[in-house]
Amino acid sequence: MPESLRYMLLLGAAVYLLLIFFLLKTGRLSVRFSLVWLASGGVLVVFAACPYIVYVLREYLHMVMPVNVVFTLLFCFVLLVLLSLSAAVSDFAERIKRLAQANAILEKRVRQLEQQLAGAQPADAQPPAAQPAGPKSPAGPRPPQSE
Amino acid sequence: MALKILVLIPCYNEEANIAAVVRRLRESCPWADYLVINDCSTDRSAEILSAEGCNYLDLPINLGIGGGMQCGYRYAWQNGYDITVQMDGDGQHDPAYLQSVVGPVARDELDMCIGSRFITKDGFQSSFMRRLGISFLSGLIFVLTGRRVRDVTSGFRACGKKLIAFFASHYAQDYPEPEAIVMAVQHGCRVGEVPVVMAERQGGVSSINALKSVYFMIKVSISLVIVRLSGRKDR
Repeated sequence: MPESLRYMLLLGAAVYLLLIFFLLKTGRLSVRFSLVWLASGGVLVVFAACPYIVYVLREYLHMVMPVNVVFTLLFCFVLLVLLSLSAAVSDFAERIKRLAQANAILEKRVRQLEQQLAGAQPADAQPPAAQPAGPKSPAGPRPPQSE
Repeated sequence: MALKILVLIPCYNEEANIAAVVRRLRESCPWADYLVINDCSTDRSAEILSAEGCNYLDLPINLGIGGGMQCGYRYAWQNGYDITVQMDGDGQHDPAYLQSVVGPVARDELDMCIGSRFITKDGFQSSFMRRLGISFLSGLIFVLTGRRVRDVTSGFRACGKKLIAFFASHYAQDYPEPEAIVMAVQHGCRVGEVPVVMAERQGGVSSINALKSVYFMIKVSISLVIVRLSGRKDR
C-alpha cells in the first residue's frame, strides 16, 4: 500500500472518529448507539496503521484483493448498525405505545373529574383554587412489566 | 360477590356503527360495564362517543388493534375488573351471546373463552378464502400448543383476571387474536370456545383487504412460531 494512501486513510479514520466524539460531546449521539460506530472507526484506524493485518486476512479468507476484506468488514458493520437501529426503533415503538396508553387512561380520568366538577358546582361559580386529591395516583397502579 | 365485568370495544373509524353497538349493549347487558377504545379515529367516532355520553378512552395516536386492546386491558387491570370481554365495534358481535361467552370464565372453567362461529356453523361464516386461512392458523396453533381452537381470529372473547393482568403488559400488536391464544396457553391458561352466531359488519369498511390478508398470514404464522419458541410453558 502506498504511504500517501495510508496517511490519507489514517486521516480519514481520525476525522471519522473525531466526528463521532464531537456528536457524543454535544449530546447529539448517545453512547449506546455510538458503540458500533466507534468500533468501525477503530477497525479503520487499525487497518490504515497496520495494512499487514488486511493482507493476512485476505490470505486466510482466500480473497483476491485486500480491499475486498475491508469492504466486506465495513458492510458487516453497516448491517450491524442497521440491525441495532431496527432494535432501537422497536424499543421506542413499545415505549411510545405505553406512553400513549397511559395518556389515554389519564385523559379519561381528567375528563371524568372535569365532568364531576362541572356537575357539582353552579354554572356561574368560580373553579376552586385546588382540587381535592383523588383516592389513588392519576395513572393508577402499573401493570407488571415484561421481563 | 358479584363479578366486575368490562366489555372492551375497539373503535377505529366506526362512525356508522359505534353508537348502535353501544346502545344495544347498554340495553341488553346492563349488568356489564363497557369501555370503547377510540384508536385515534379520523372520522366522527370521537364526536359521536362524546355526544352519546359513552364511557371511552381516546388514544392520542393510532396504535392498531393490539395496542388499543392492550390499553383496555391496562384500564381493566387498574380498575380491578374480574372479567373482560372483547367485542368488535362494527356490530358483528351480538351482545345476546355475552352471557354465554362470559359464563365459563365466571364459573372458573376457563381463563379465556372464545365465541366461535364454527361450532354450530350458524350465521355469518366469512368468505371461503378467510375460512381457509383461519383453518390453517387453527392447525398451526394445534401443532404449537396441542389445543384445538376453531375460530382463532374471533374477536369475541372473555378473559379472566389472570389474563387481564398478563395482557396488560404483554399483547400482540398487529392482528393479535391468534397470537393471544398461544400466549394464553404459554402462560398456563385454560382456553376454550362456545358457539355464537355472528353477523356481517353493519357498516363502514373492514381494515383487512387482499394485500393485508397475505401480510396477515405471513406475519401471524411467524409470530405464532416465535411466541411458542420464546415463551415459557408453565401449565
